[in-house]
Amino acid sequence: MSSQDETPENKLRAKLPEEVPAEAPERPSPEVPEAREASDAPEASREAEASKEASEDASGDEPEQVGPTLSGRQRLVQGLWPPRLSRAQLIVALLLFGLGFGLAVQVASNSDSDGALRGARQADLVRILDELDDRTQRLEEEKQGLEDQRTELENSSDQAEEARKQTVEKERQLGILAGTVAAEGPGITLTIDDTKGTVEADMLLDAIQELRAAGAEAIQVNDVRVVASTYLTDASSGVSVDGNKISAPYRFKVIGKPQDLEPALNIPGGVVQTLEKERATVTVERSSKIVVDALRAVKRPDYARSSSQ
Amino acid sequence: MIAVLGLVVGVVAGLLVRPEVPAVVEPYLPIAVVAALDAVFGGLRAMLDGIFDDKVFVVSFLSNVVVAALIVFLGDKLGVGAQLSTGVVVVLGIRIFSNAAAIRRHVFRA
Repeated sequence: MSSQDETPENKLRAKLPEEVPAEAPERPSPEVPEAREASDAPEASREAEASKEASEDASGDEPEQVGPTLSGRQRLVQGLWPPRLSRAQLIVALLLFGLGFGLAVQVASNSDSDGALRGARQADLVRILDELDDRTQRLEEEKQGLEDQRTELENSSDQAEEARKQTVEKERQLGILAGTVAAEGPGITLTIDDTKGTVEADMLLDAIQELRAAGAEAIQVNDVRVVASTYLTDASSGVSVDGNKISAPYRFKVIGKPQDLEPALNIPGGVVQTLEKERATVTVERSSKIVVDALRAVKRPDYARSSSQ
Repeated sequence: MIAVLGLVVGVVAGLLVRPEVPAVVEPYLPIAVVAALDAVFGGLRAMLDGIFDDKVFVVSFLSNVVVAALIVFLGDKLGVGAQLSTGVVVVLGIRIFSNAAAIRRHVFRA
């Protein structure tokens, strides 16, 4: 509406109120109401161009126009001051009192903090209630699903815990065999002191074989762990075990049953006698606690694959 | 002047008394207030046009309120209360705007 006001045409019209007083005296005063209305109405409606019937309520049947025509502003001032106590004023005041009262009551009841739902109509309330019911149901279902899931996870995590324990246990056992973890237990210490340099790899291998046959579970020679893939070769001054050169005295730490291991070494024609024949000094002593702590890195086989699935 | 005083006294009384709105009237009060506002703006415009008549004003005021409440009531019964009251508010709002434009022309000559 306001953008329309800016057009030049409308600016011209806006000057109409000034023109009206000049026009009015020329108009013959004792006119037929209909005719006057006809001449008056276009001006009024041009004034409020956008609202053709806006003031129809009040403009329809006003019969007289008193005295010289006044501008709207003058009429407003006249109406406001001085205050006139007339029936019309009282009635209008009464109606406006009602309006103001209703307005204030409505505003007050709307701005009540607890009254978010108070002003809502029945249909809205029913809809809100339905939505809440739906939401409750959805949330209940979700809760049920989550509880099921939790139970399931608890069960499976129990099983997984058990499986994990078994796996760890198995890993320890296999680690002892593979030499990846340290081991301790009863056993013997076999020390071969070779002052003459006559001990060779095959003699040590014989000793290891003998120990294995007697049930040795973990063996270490000096600082090298002896495992399934261990090999011994002769080196310039000493023996090479898995590529690590070791020299006398050769100290075997063996975990196993001492009562089996020691006789196995000492049997006639056995390891000890053979070595002593080579003028090496051999001592075997039992111990209730042997620590085999030489480790070996985990090696993944390049070619061999487990065929059991 | 007395009319303006009446409006002010009404607002003050409404704020001070803060009556509980009866449940029966509650849905109709906002629409009735908007309708009454429309009538008041129409009356003000008529006064500025110099064609104000108290009888017409009273009748238009009351009939506006009654018709607006009736429309809302009918809408509620038909199950389209929310839409219908929105429509009523839109129509009344348009009328209030156009009346306000006319009043503005009178008062500010612009």
